[in-house]
Amino acid sequence: MRFNIGFFIREAFKNIRLNLLMSVTAVTTTFICILVLGAGLLVSAHVEGLIGSVREDVAVTAFFQPDEKEQKIQAVRDSVEGYSEVSSVKFVSKAEALDNFKQTFADQPEIYEDMGSDVLPASLEMQLKDPSDADAVASKLEGEGFAKKDLSYPQQTISRLNEVTGYMIWGLYGATALFLISSILLISNAIRISIFARRKEIEVMKLVGASDSFVRTPFVFEGLVEGLIGATLAALAVIWLNYLFVDWSRQALPFVPISGNAVDTVLILAVLIAVGVMIGVIGSFLSVTRFLRV
Amino acid sequence: MIQFSNVTKVYGNDTVALERVNLNIDPGEFVFLVGASGSGKSTIVRLVLKEMEPSAGAIYVNGTRLSAVPRRSIPRHRRNIGCVFQDFKLLPNKTAAENVAYAMEVTGQRPRTIRTKVPQILDLVGLAEKTGKYPDQLSGGEQQRVSIARAFVSQPPILIADEPTGNLDPDTSVGIMQLLHRINRIGTTVLVATHDKEMVDVMRKRVVALEEGRIVRDKVKGAYADEV
Repeated sequence: MRFNIGFFIREAFKNIRLNLLMSVTAVTTTFICILVLGAGLLVSAHVEGLIGSVREDVAVTAFFQPDEKEQKIQAVRDSVEGYSEVSSVKFVSKAEALDNFKQTFADQPEIYEDMGSDVLPASLEMQLKDPSDADAVASKLEGEGFAKKDLSYPQQTISRLNEVTGYMIWGLYGATALFLISSILLISNAIRISIFARRKEIEVMKLVGASDSFVRTPFVFEGLVEGLIGATLAALAVIWLNYLFVDWSRQALPFVPISGNAVDTVLILAVLIAVGVMIGVIGSFLSVTRFLRV
Repeated sequence: MIQFSNVTKVYGNDTVALERVNLNIDPGEFVFLVGASGSGKSTIVRLVLKEMEPSAGAIYVNGTRLSAVPRRSIPRHRRNIGCVFQDFKLLPNKTAAENVAYAMEVTGQRPRTIRTKVPQILDLVGLAEKTGKYPDQLSGGEQQRVSIARAFVSQPPILIADEPTGNLDPDTSVGIMQLLHRINRIGTTVLVATHDKEMVDVMRKRVVALEEGRIVRDKVKGAYADEV
C-alpha cells in the first residue's frame, strides 16, 4: 500500500484551518505551558549561575611573616601554583596590601596616616576550583610552613553553602519536573478535546476501510504542527524575557552577579521546542488511538 | 458470497439479537432484509462488517471465515464491502468529490486514478453538477447518492445498505433504489436492510424477513409481507 505524505500534510493543514478554534486552543495551551516551563528553566539557570559565582568567590588567603625572605616567598608561590585544586594564585605584596587598605578606608585617612609600609604582611590569594577542597589546600599550606593562624578561609561558610545550594538545586529540579508533568497533562487534554469533537469522523473513516495509521497520521501531523507553533512562540518569548531580565538586573541589581552567560539560549530553545513537539505528537497519537476501535 | 451458519448474537447477558440464523447469499444477488426495528437487521449488517463478533456460529464473506480475520486486517476486509447508511455518514469537512476520493485514498490508489474516477462515478449517480458542494449544502437524497458513489467507487464485490431510504421521501427513495438496482445489474451483490414496504413490494427481489432475531421467511421475488 502506498503512503502519500503530501496527502497527509494537506489533510493536517486543512483540519487545522477547518477546526480553527480547537487548533487555536491547543496552540495557546501549548504556548502557556511551555512559557511557564521555560520561565522555570530560566529561574533554575540563573539561580545555578548565582550559586556558582558565589562559590567561585571562595578563596584561601595565606599571609607571610613580615620578615619573610624574598627567596622563600618565591619558592612558596611556585609550589602553590602547582596545586591541582587551585585555579589561580595572586601575590599581594606589602605595598599592594597597604594600597588596598588605603582604598578600603579612603574616607577615613586618619586610620592609615601613620602606618608604615611594613605593617601589613604580604599574602597569596588562591581561588579554588572546588570550594570543598579548602581543607585539603589549607593542610598543604601548613606543610609549606604556614601557621594555622596565618591561613584565612571561610570553612564554615563553604560547607553551609554546599548544603543550602544542594537543596535549592534539587528543589528547582523538582519544580521543573512538576511544570513538565502539568504541561503534558494540559496539552494532551486540549488535543483530546479537539479530537473528541471529531470522533464521528474517525468512525466514518474506519467504516470506509481506512487503516488505523491512515486515520491517525493526519491527526499526528496536526499535533506536531500545533506543538511546534505553540512551543516556538513560547521559546522565543522565554529568550526575550531572559534578555529583558538580564538587562534590567544589570541596572537594578548591579551587585548581584546575574549573567547572561548563565543561560544557554540555544539549549533552552531546543529543549522547549522539542518538549512541545513531543507532547503534541504523543498526545494526538494516544487520543486518536482511543477512538480507533470501531 | 455471504454465508451465516447458525449465527447467534447476544448483547450483554440476555438481549438476544439473532438466534441461530442461517442465510446464504450468492454472488450477484439482490436481497432485501426486512423486519421491524429490533428484529436484527442492523446486527446482521454489523456482523458482516466485523464491527463485532457473533456469540456463536460462523460467518463467511467472500469465502473467508470472519473469525479468522485479525484486527489489523479488518480495514482490508471492509474495502471489499461498500457501505451505505441511513444517516449517510459523510465526512462533513469534505466536498462530495473529496468524500468519494477518500474511499480511494484509503486503499492507496494513484492520485491520477482518483482524479479520473471520482467525476465518472459522481456523474453515474447523477451529481455531476454538485461535486464541489459540502454535505450540508446537499439534500438528503443527494447526500445518499454521494454515499452510494463512495461505497461503489472501488467496485467492491458486495454493497450493503442499512436503511438507505430511511431518511428520504418516497420520490427520492425510488431514485436511490434504482441506483442500487443498476449497481446490482453490473454484478455486485447487494444487501439492503429496510422497512420501506412500498419499495420492497415494487422491486420484487429476494426478501428475507426477520422477526425477533429469527428468519421467518425467505422468498425469491417476494414482497414485504406475506401475500395471501
